Amino acid sequence: MKFLAIILLLLALILEVSLTTIPFIFLVLLCLTVVLRANWLFIAAFIFGLLFDLLSFKALGISSSFFVIFLFLVLLYQSKFEITTGYFVLVTSFSGSLLFLFLQGYTNAIILQTILSVVIGLLLFKLIQKLNKPLGVSA
Amino acid sequence: MQKRSSVSYFLVFLILSLLILSASKIGLLNPLDSFLKDILSPVQAFTYQTFAKISGFDQNAQIKALKTQNLALTQQLIDQNKLIGDNKALRDQFQTASPKSSGLIPADVVGAPGFIPGLSVPEILILDRGVNDGVKTGDAVVYENNLIGGITQVTANLSMMTLLTNSSSLFTAKTLETGAQGVVKGQGGGEVVLDNVVLSDSLKKDDLVLTNGNVNLQNSGFPPDLTVGKIISISKNPSDLFQKADIQPLVSFNNLKKVFVVVNYR
Repeated sequence: MKFLAIILLLLALILEVSLTTIPFIFLVLLCLTVVLRANWLFIAAFIFGLLFDLLSFKALGISSSFFVIFLFLVLLYQSKFEITTGYFVLVTSFSGSLLFLFLQGYTNAIILQTILSVVIGLLLFKLIQKLNKPLGVSA
Repeated sequence: MQKRSSVSYFLVFLILSLLILSASKIGLLNPLDSFLKDILSPVQAFTYQTFAKISGFDQNAQIKALKTQNLALTQQLIDQNKLIGDNKALRDQFQTASPKSSGLIPADVVGAPGFIPGLSVPEILILDRGVNDGVKTGDAVVYENNLIGGITQVTANLSMMTLLTNSSSLFTAKTLETGAQGVVKGQGGGEVVLDNVVLSDSLKKDDLVLTNGNVNLQNSGFPPDLTVGKIISISKNPSDLFQKADIQPLVSFNNLKKVFVVVNYR
């Protein structure tokens, strides 16, 4: 699953730095965290955040800080709520995407992009859930 | 145990991210940043171009093509408008009986030193004709049958003309209706006066002021009967020796693009 996760993150990185402002990396990290709940995702968040900053000409470390904090908050909630649900992904992808786009300084159609992010997040969540089932959870 | 482990991972990577962010903000990572960008930018460019070629993601390429086309069409429009303007100016000029079209050279205004639209008025213009085209110092510059000014300096391919509003501009003139004689003096700032008109001569508002003519044997100078402007106000004081009148040129010097140099009066 780690290999698949890295492939997904690489694809998200390419899409985000080449084509769109939709926060693909954040959505993949969020869905992976919700499904896998693994600590190595902090390393992935750190590295892919740095790569994103580097390729999108942002101050290095700003995205990785955001990713690391958000993943930690998601993991904090697992003791209080069931986080591996569509509702949780819906709420967190909406709030996280909106905050991320705002922090990145994107103001053009920010709500539309956030709604699109939620849809993509839910689809990714279902996909990762399906892919994870036959392989088993790896922590 | 899992929660404690998460906290330590979180703290380690958050501190690392914040350290990198601080170093990046103060510019410590600039060399590394540019080095890594150099390595990764071809990959980024390749992926961008690849996606751009895929149908559906091709909108940017279409916009780019349309922008290029738009620029080309805008240039064509500018060229066409210039041709229309030139054509009109030439037609107007050649329909004018005086000065004779055979002695005129069309010239484009290529410079107006010291002219700032809205702040100042042009007093000197640079024309794209020079000695090689037969232009001489002292030649008159006209637009239709209106005097614009005179050539004061000439190089091989360019010439400098002083507008009649320039304070160094000075020549004799007469009024059309009353025939009063005087000296036209540029005042600077776009103003011209007809001065040195004896009190016995009559000046009339809205009367036209024409050149007297001062063509010399070298065939340069101002031909007679070119329009200088019309009288807009008269200053006459019985105790003065002369009276004078303010003149308003009929041509706006601010947006002259094409003028004609009178190189051969006869």
